[in-house]
Order: sequence, then C-alpha cells, then structure tokens
Amino acid sequence: MTPNTSAPSRRSFLASTAVAAAAVAGGMPLLSACGGSQEGRKDGTTSGKDAAKILPAYVASDVVAPDIPAKNGSAAGFTKAIPTAELKTSVAKKMGSGGKLTILSPFFGTPPKTGNPYYKAMNEAIGVEVTWQNQDGVTYDQKLGAVLAGSNIPDVVTVPGWNLMGRIPSALNAKFADLGPYLSGDKVKDYPNLAAVPTEAWQRGIFGGQLRAIPMPAPNVTDIAPMYRVDLFKEKGYSVPTSPDEFLSWAKEATDAKSKLWACDDMKWSAFHIFGCLSGSDKALWWNMDGGKLINRIETEEYLEALEWTRKLYAAKVVHPEAVQGKATGSSGNRFTAGQVLVYNNNISDWWGKTAEQATQNPDFEMGAFDFFGPDGGDPTLWAGQPANIFTFISKKATEAQIKDFLALCNFCAAPYGTKEFMLTAYGVEGIDYEIKDGLPVKTTQGVNEVNGAYDYTGNPAPYVAYPDFPEVTKGIVEWQQRMGAFTKKSSFFGLTVTEPNRWANLADDFEQLEDDAVRGRKKISDVQQAVADWKSKGGDDLRDWYKKLLDDNGSAN
Amino acid sequence: MSHSTVPRSRAEAKTPAEDPATPDGAGRRFRSRSRSRSRDEQRRGKLSLRLRFKRDRTLILMTLPAVLLLLVFNYVPILGNVVAFQDYDPYLSENGFVAIFQSPWIGFEQFERIFADSAFWHAVQNTFVLFFLQLVLFFPIPILLALLINSVVRPRVRALAQAIMYLPHFFSWVLVVTVFMQIFGGAGIIAQTLRRHGYEGFDLMTNPETFKYLVTLEMVWKDAGWGIIVFLAALSSVSNDLYEAAAMDGAGRWRRMWHITLPALRPVIALLLVLRVGDALTVGFEQLLLQRQAVGVAASDVLDTYVWWNGIRNQDFSYAAAAGLIKGFVGLALVLTANKVAHLMGEQGVYKK
Repeated sequence: MTPNTSAPSRRSFLASTAVAAAAVAGGMPLLSACGGSQEGRKDGTTSGKDAAKILPAYVASDVVAPDIPAKNGSAAGFTKAIPTAELKTSVAKKMGSGGKLTILSPFFGTPPKTGNPYYKAMNEAIGVEVTWQNQDGVTYDQKLGAVLAGSNIPDVVTVPGWNLMGRIPSALNAKFADLGPYLSGDKVKDYPNLAAVPTEAWQRGIFGGQLRAIPMPAPNVTDIAPMYRVDLFKEKGYSVPTSPDEFLSWAKEATDAKSKLWACDDMKWSAFHIFGCLSGSDKALWWNMDGGKLINRIETEEYLEALEWTRKLYAAKVVHPEAVQGKATGSSGNRFTAGQVLVYNNNISDWWGKTAEQATQNPDFEMGAFDFFGPDGGDPTLWAGQPANIFTFISKKATEAQIKDFLALCNFCAAPYGTKEFMLTAYGVEGIDYEIKDGLPVKTTQGVNEVNGAYDYTGNPAPYVAYPDFPEVTKGIVEWQQRMGAFTKKSSFFGLTVTEPNRWANLADDFEQLEDDAVRGRKKISDVQQAVADWKSKGGDDLRDWYKKLLDDNGSAN
Repeated sequence: MSHSTVPRSRAEAKTPAEDPATPDGAGRRFRSRSRSRSRDEQRRGKLSLRLRFKRDRTLILMTLPAVLLLLVFNYVPILGNVVAFQDYDPYLSENGFVAIFQSPWIGFEQFERIFADSAFWHAVQNTFVLFFLQLVLFFPIPILLALLINSVVRPRVRALAQAIMYLPHFFSWVLVVTVFMQIFGGAGIIAQTLRRHGYEGFDLMTNPETFKYLVTLEMVWKDAGWGIIVFLAALSSVSNDLYEAAAMDGAGRWRRMWHITLPALRPVIALLLVLRVGDALTVGFEQLLLQRQAVGVAASDVLDTYVWWNGIRNQDFSYAAAAGLIKGFVGLALVLTANKVAHLMGEQGVYKK
C-alpha cells in the first residue's frame, strides 16, 4: 500500500480514487487505513498550559453579596429584592453598534411574538437588533443537525451540551468563530460582566482548541430534580417516598386512571441519579476511571438497574400514557400543572418557572423538589454535571462588527443580580412585564409570557438563583443543590470539552432511543446488554483507549 | 381537429417568432412551407434533426424552464450520491460541496455497514409490510368512495360530501396524530370513557403490534378523500349513453357498474397501481417520525426515517446516502417490474418502449 504512506495526499481527489480502487481490489479494511491520521482535525481536548493561553482573565464581580452563598458546588442564592433606585449599572454605555444578529436558540415553552415590548427594550438597551429563531427545545437536536449541514447558518447558534452527539462537535469547530482574539487573557476586561464568568465555565467553552463558545455557567450539582405537587400530596395525605421500592408502591396507590390521574411522568432521568449512574449529560462524563480502567456509563450495573426500575414503573401503569408516547406530544410540565401527574422530573429551574406561571392561574398550586435517595433508600451517589453545559456560538462568517455586537449582547445578559441590566434581562420592562408590589418585582401575565426563554443562553453570570418574588423557591432550589452537592462526585473528564474522532462519533447515537424502548417494555434489558456488546466490538473499546490516552496526556481536570 | 380551420389561417400569417402556436398549428405550418424544399426527406418519412428542431422550437422553448428545474433539482443532486462511497465529512471545508472533494474514498464500506445493520433490515421489513397493508387497505378505498359519490345525484349533497372528504388532506400530520391521540390515546376519549364504566383503558397509540394498522387508518382518514379526485374525473368521462343503452337492455345497477363503470376505471387504476408500486418504498415520513417514540424504533422505522435519522439526526451522511441509494435502486426495479406486468395485462402502464 505505497500510496497510503503520505497521509495528506489521500485527501486529494485523484489520489484517493486510486487508493480506493486499490483497496477495493485488495479487500483492505478501509476505514482503519484511511482514518489513521487526524492532523488538522480538532478532536481531543485542551487543558492545562494550552488552555491557560486562551482562557479569559477572571475579575470577580461583587455587586450584591448573595443571601445564601454557594456551597458544595451549588449556585448562589439571592432572596431579597433590590429597590429600583438602588440597582447598579454594569454596562455604562450602549456597546452595540446597532447591527443585526439572527439567533437560533432552543426554547422550552411557547415563544412570544416578535417585536414585543421586552424584545424591543432589550434591542434598544444593548444596541443590537436581534431576530430570534426560537425552536422547540425538546426536539432541538433534530433541527440542529439539519441547520448545521446546510450553508445558511444563523449568525448566532445556541447548542446545549446534550445535543453534542454524532458529528455536531466537529461541525461546531468548522462553522463557528474563534472568540480568543476578543476575550483571551486581559482582553475580556472590555466586557466586565464576561470577565466575572468563572474560569471553569470558560474552560468548557474551548472547542477544537479555540475559545469558541460563550458558556452558560452551571452548578456542578445535577440540574435534574424530581419534583412533586406539594398541594396535592397534602390533600391526599401522602408523604414523599424515600426509596425506589417505596416510590413504586406509593405510585401504584396514587394512580387513579379513572379520574385521569397518574403518579408520575417519565422518571428515567431521576432513575439514573437514584441508582448512581454516571452522568449522561455530556459524552465525556460517560467515562470514569474505576479500578485502573476507564468504564463507560452504559457498561455499568447501575445503568441497567436504573432502566429496570423505570421499566417497572411503566409496567405498573403508573406513568401517564402520554409520557409513553414520548417527546412528540405535550410536555411533562403541562401534565404536571394540569394535575394529571403528581411527580415529574426536569431542570430544577422549572420549580420557579411553573410556580410563577401558576401563581396567576391557580393560587393553590404548590410544588417542591424531593431529595434523591440511593438504591436501598440510603444516601445516593451522584455524579457532577459539567460546570457549563449550554453554549452559544457565532458564525465564522460574521464580520468583526458582528462579533463585537454579539459580545456586547452577551456582556449585557451576563450582568449579575442587583443591576439594571439584570432586571431588564430577567424581568423585562417595568410597568409592562413586571410591577413592583410591596417592594417585590412581580411579573404580569404579559411578562410571564414574554420574558421567558430568549436571552437565557446568550451570556450569564456565575451560577445563581435569584427569584426575589418567590424567595422560598430560591431558598428551596439552593438548599436542594447544597444537600445533593454533598453526595456529588466528579468523574474523570469533569470540566473538559472533548471532541471525539469522527470514526467513533456515531457509536453511541442510538442508546437514548434504545433506553426509551427498554423502559417502555418494547425492548428487553438483554437487548441493551447486546447493544453494549456491539458498541464495544464496533469501536467502544478503541474509544476507551483513545480516552485513556487523552487522560494520560492531559490529566484529569479535578 | 375540427377547431383548426379558423386558427390555421391566422397562425400562418404570423412570423414564427411571435407565434403562440398550438402543436397542430406549428406542425401544419412546417408541412405547408417545406413541401417544396425537403420533399425527399419527407418522402422517406424522416426529417433531419435540424429541421425537426426548427419545426418544434417553440415547443422546445416552452419546455426549457421545466427541463432546467428538473436538471437543477432532480439530476444535479443525484451526483451527490458519490458520498455513499466516501467517508464524507461536510465540515472539512466551509462549503459542503467542496468537502466532497476532500473526503476520503472508502469504496463499498458504507454498504457493508448497512447490510450488517439489523436496524436497516428491520426498516426494510417495516417498509414492505406497510406498503402491502396500504395496498390492500388503503388503495381500494378512494375507488369505493368515488363510486359512492358518483351515485349521489343531488349536486348540493355531492359537493358537501366531497368537501368533507377532501378537508383532512389539508391537515398537517401533527394535527392528525394529535386528533388520533385525543381519541385513541391512553388518556383519550375512548380510554377514559371505558374507565368510567369500569373497564380497562386501552392505548392504541403506543401499541407496537397494531401500529401498522393505526398508521394505515390515519392515512385513510387523511388522504382517502383526496384520492378520489382522479377516479371521479375518469367516471365523469363515461358517456351517459352507455348507461342508458344498458338500462334499456335491462341491466340493473350492479351489472351497469360491473360492465361499464369498472372497465372505464380500469386504465386509471392500473396506472395508479404502477405508480404506487414504483413508490412502494415511500410509505410515509413525517407521520412515522412523529410517532417514532410512541411505539419505538422497531415498529416505526421505515427506510425514509432510517435515512433521515442516520443522515440528519446522527450526521452520518455517507451512511445515509448509501442507504438512500439502495432504496433508489430497489424502487427502480419495482417500477420496471410493475410496468412490465401492466403491459402483460394489456394496460398502458406508465410508459411504453
């Protein structure tokens, strides 16, 4: 195979035809022959000294001291409202040039109309004319692939970490701009709010060796919480279950299909936490060093146990029938607020979202999150999520002026609690979207509908929970994070953003739908085991070696 | 041709360039003008290419835009199928087209991967099962509906019935699936009514075993009404004289339908059947994708969703292109076979040699 010795020439059209022809004739194993060298491809990760060169400097911001300081990897909590007159200014002058940006972003809920007062006020304050392309967040993965494969990519694209499947990471490296020239080192000081973003979040923004993403800083503690209807629990005299078995027997008792009431929605995500399964939110977190060997979450007993328990819930018919249908129909949150399910799991910020939404519609509504329990009802073993897991990118085709506008936008949205910018971003326009009642900002119906979702991912300060209108929710969320944080461990690749080589990128693509089939009883747990065996032989074991080498070269971040 | 006497004289007076000629007009003009010049050629019954071009240029000009569209949107993209023989990575270059030239060639490896993938064979099986079900349960329904509508005499009732039957065609699949869910779902009207009366609820929407019937039912509800249009057109061309004559001879309703209506529909049915068989591997996409999670991949994956899932969702473009190519070849074979069968049965089919 002489033509194969010069790797780069294989990329060219004619030479590669010759190679292919020769290889077909000889019956060579082709992928292994061609995929050997990956020069110029940005797979792997960046950490240590290499990362230090491009990471932005950190300048803490201390506008308001939190009422509940961060602990155990939790967010900081702000429970007190700041009177309008005392709000500080973190963006002294309008930084945008008046240019235009189109932003593709996931949206959980119903997007508001374009040109609403909130959007207008934000555009005016930042000096950037934003056109939102809000897409359903639940099926965002399907949209994202199609958009990135096309040539007409919006200026700014938000990508959640759980959508970084298949070749999406390599698409991001190819299509989005390096922000290093604008943010690395002291340059970030032009954008003081971005300079206050924690370094571990920025570390996650390094894609393919360059600082490409504005990260959304997140607490290390898992963002998925099991939440329950406190009001309905009280009414029926239920107490919160404290073990998987107890949950199952409670669920059977609580389900009353005749009156359209089911105990829970799909609980797969919670099950993974209860049974101590490695985090599934980011592909690198799937791996952990255990007894000198890297183990993937899908190879663990915990993974199978979690699926088996979830399967039992479905088999006992305590899960809402529409949850069986999956993503396509209605969201679990709506079934929860409608009182058709008593327990569901979601991002814990939903605690505030649903409480605020229902405050105007159902005054009796009360919800809470309950603590994860271990498989036997004892303390759980939880695995840390990434310190940032939602990223916002700007297209490589953007002009310098557009990139500066983008950074102006992110800097504005990253304003900390206690600033005018924060109030506008989080609560909207005073008098339209919210009103001050008894010293507290309270969203109007218009505010609930409009100030919701957009601007959530385009720049954020260090992890915080600040809902002065619902101080008990703020307290509840932060304390839940602190309690769960005490049980949280970090796996080997915590804090790193890893781009897998193309040839293995698609290996684990279909596990999610396999899990969904298994818990719904359409596939057996043994089918999952078979899929894991296939995964190993089709490249999983090679991928393990690749990750092992990455770990040896870069060292663990924790 | 009875209408052509008057237009002919007018058409011939015009210069060819501004002639909005009807096909007849153009042909006739050529004959009259070239009689002296190319008598030899004409005697042989053959025209030179140049002359034929000259004769038909208006027609050719008229078809040019359509041909152009066909080229750009149907033929040029076919070239993209080369990625099936590559390890194609669209992100090697800024431009996805350029990336084709930079991606390494790997021969038939993608096809080997596909043939070794049980999910692919599952999708093929589902596709054929759905196709045959649709053929048996869906195809005859528009014919029956057309016969039914045709028997309605009062125009008002007829228009109303047609409107009601056409309407669901304009609903999106999301809406159709939602409507079915509200009725047949686990928390739908039927299940809740059953529960109120002390029976077990049922859930048609998430049952993988009955999924193929559910899909066909949805399809019938949505598109059967729309499908009757072609048959109604065919029925309206049947001369009333035939029916009257048959009635005079003492033929009843059924005999008239058997001996007049159905034979009149036969060529149309054969044509649509051939077209349907040629399209056999296309059994629905959006509808199945929407219900993918509800019944699982094993029951809902067909070739189209398989290609989409791997190509777009998983970004495995070469793999998906190879699967699409296989689908194309099988589809071609089916059209050729179906057309041949139609010829053997004495029907026109889609084309003739």
